[in-house]
Amino acid sequence: MEPRGSSGVGSGNSGTYTPEIAESLRFEEEIQSLIDPSFDASSAAGGSFTALLGLPANQAVELLHHPGPGEPPASAATDTLRLPFGCSSTFVERAARFSVFATDDSPASSSGGGLSPGLKAEPPDSDSPPTLPAPAGKPRRPSKRKECEKSKVSRRPRWGFLSRKAVAKKSKSAEENTSAAKPAAEENTSGDKLPYVHVRARRGQATDSHSLAERARREKINARMKLLQELVPGCSKITGTALVLDEIINHVQSLQRQVEFLSMKLAAVNPRIDFSGLDHILSAECGPLAVASGCGGGASDPAMWASDTAASTGGIRRMPAPPQIWHLDVVHPQQSSTVWENNGVAHPHFLLSPATSLVGYDPASSVPLNSNRLKTEL
Amino acid sequence: MESKSSTTGNRDNPNRNLHGSKTMMASHFLRALFRIQQTSTSSSSAGRSRRIRRAAYASMAYSAGTRRAWSRALLRKLRSRARLRFPRRLSRAATPQRRDMDQAQVLRKLVPGGPSMDDCKLLEETADYIRFLTTQVRLMQTVMDSISS
Repeated sequence: MEPRGSSGVGSGNSGTYTPEIAESLRFEEEIQSLIDPSFDASSAAGGSFTALLGLPANQAVELLHHPGPGEPPASAATDTLRLPFGCSSTFVERAARFSVFATDDSPASSSGGGLSPGLKAEPPDSDSPPTLPAPAGKPRRPSKRKECEKSKVSRRPRWGFLSRKAVAKKSKSAEENTSAAKPAAEENTSGDKLPYVHVRARRGQATDSHSLAERARREKINARMKLLQELVPGCSKITGTALVLDEIINHVQSLQRQVEFLSMKLAAVNPRIDFSGLDHILSAECGPLAVASGCGGGASDPAMWASDTAASTGGIRRMPAPPQIWHLDVVHPQQSSTVWENNGVAHPHFLLSPATSLVGYDPASSVPLNSNRLKTEL
Repeated sequence: MESKSSTTGNRDNPNRNLHGSKTMMASHFLRALFRIQQTSTSSSSAGRSRRIRRAAYASMAYSAGTRRAWSRALLRKLRSRARLRFPRRLSRAATPQRRDMDQAQVLRKLVPGGPSMDDCKLLEETADYIRFLTTQVRLMQTVMDSISS
C-alpha cells in the first residue's frame, strides 16, 4: 500500500527546510524532551535532523535506530524510545504518521527505504488518519522501528490517540484482512460522530458498528443462556439454543404444575395442620427483619389476623418469649382457637408465635432454634 | 441477615442461593396457610387449593420484592384479583408442533410480565423466576412432609 497522496513533492529533501521537515524536527524534539528533561530543544533544532537528512535514506534510519557517536542525545532518545512511551498524544500522532515509513514496499531492501518516500508523503498523511490502520496492519518486515511503532499504534488502547480517532474498533492482529482494512478506513471518518462502544473486534470479523452492537447483544444473550443452563438440571449437556430453550420452558411448566399439585395436596391435608410441627421446620437465619418486613407486607393484604391489625403491628416489635412457652402455646392450637377469637391483646402474641418461632426469632440467644430438616432442604 | 436487596448481589453470587429471601418466603407462606386454615374450614377443597396456590405465588412475589419485573407483574396481578389469574395447563392440542418457532413467545406467556420484555431481559427474568419457583416448591414440599409425618 503506497503512501497516500502524490509523490510529487519528492524533489528536494536534502537541504530544504520544508514544513514536513520542520515537523520531523519537532518530532525529534519531542522525543528528546520526553526522554531527557534537561534536553534543550531549541539547540537541537537545526542540528540533528537536517544532518540526518543529508545522509542517504538507509543510513539515516540506521542512525535513528542506532545512532553513532555523533548523536549522543539521539542515542539516549532512541534506546529508550521504545520503552517508556510518554503519554503525549501529539507524540503518538507523529509516531503514527511516521509509521508510514514502514509501509513502503519500494525496492529498498531494508526498512531504511521508507524514509524518503515517507517524508515526501508526509503532508498528505498529516491529516489522514485512515492511513494509520493500514500501515499499522501492513508491515511484515521485522524491523524494530516498524514493530515498535506498530505496537505503539495498534495494540495499546490506552493511547488517547486511538480512542480519539475512533479506532477503538480496530482488530488486534497484524495480518488484518485487507477487506477489513478498507471498511475500517471508511469507518474511521464516520466513526468520529458515534459514541464509542469500545468493543474489541475479533480477528477476521467485521468492524462496523452495527455488527458490533449485534455481537455485544448476542454475547449478553449467550451469557444469560448459560446462567439458565446452570439453573435447569440436565441442561448443561445440551447444545443448541432451541433445545435449551425447550428444556427451560419445560422446566418452568413443570415447576408451575408442581405448585398447583402441592397446593391441592395442602388443601386436602389442611384441616390437620398443627403448627407444632412447624416449629421444627425453619432455621433461625433471619429473625426480626423477616418478621417485620413480612408483617409489613402482610398488612397490606386484607386483614391477616382476625383481630385488628394495629394490635398485631404493635405486637410485632419484641416477642422475647422463650421457646418453651411457645411450645406450650402452640401445642394446643385447637383448644385456644376460641380464645384467640375473643382475646384481642394476647391474640397477636399467639398468632405470631408460630410464625416467629418458625423464623426462629430469638434475639436473646443466637442459637438457631429448630434448624434441622428444613435448613438442609431449603 | 436481611434479605438481599440488590440484584447485583444475586447476579454476582456464584451459587446464587436465596438465603435471605427463603425465610421471608417461608414466614409469609406459613402465615398465609394458617390464615387460610382459620378462615375456610368449611369451604371446598378446590377453593382452598386455589387460595393456597395464590398464597404461594404471593409469598414468592413478596420475597422477591419490586426489583424484579416478574415479581412486580405478579403483585399487580394479585392485587387486581383477576378471575383467571394463573395459566392452566397449556392445551397441547392447539399446538401440534412440538418445537415452536417462537419459543420466546411461549416463555413470555409462562413468566409473569413476559410480554413487555425484550429477549435479553426475558432470559434474565426467567432465571430469577425459576430460582424463586424452585425455592417455593421446595418449601411447599417440606411443609407437606412435616405435616404428614
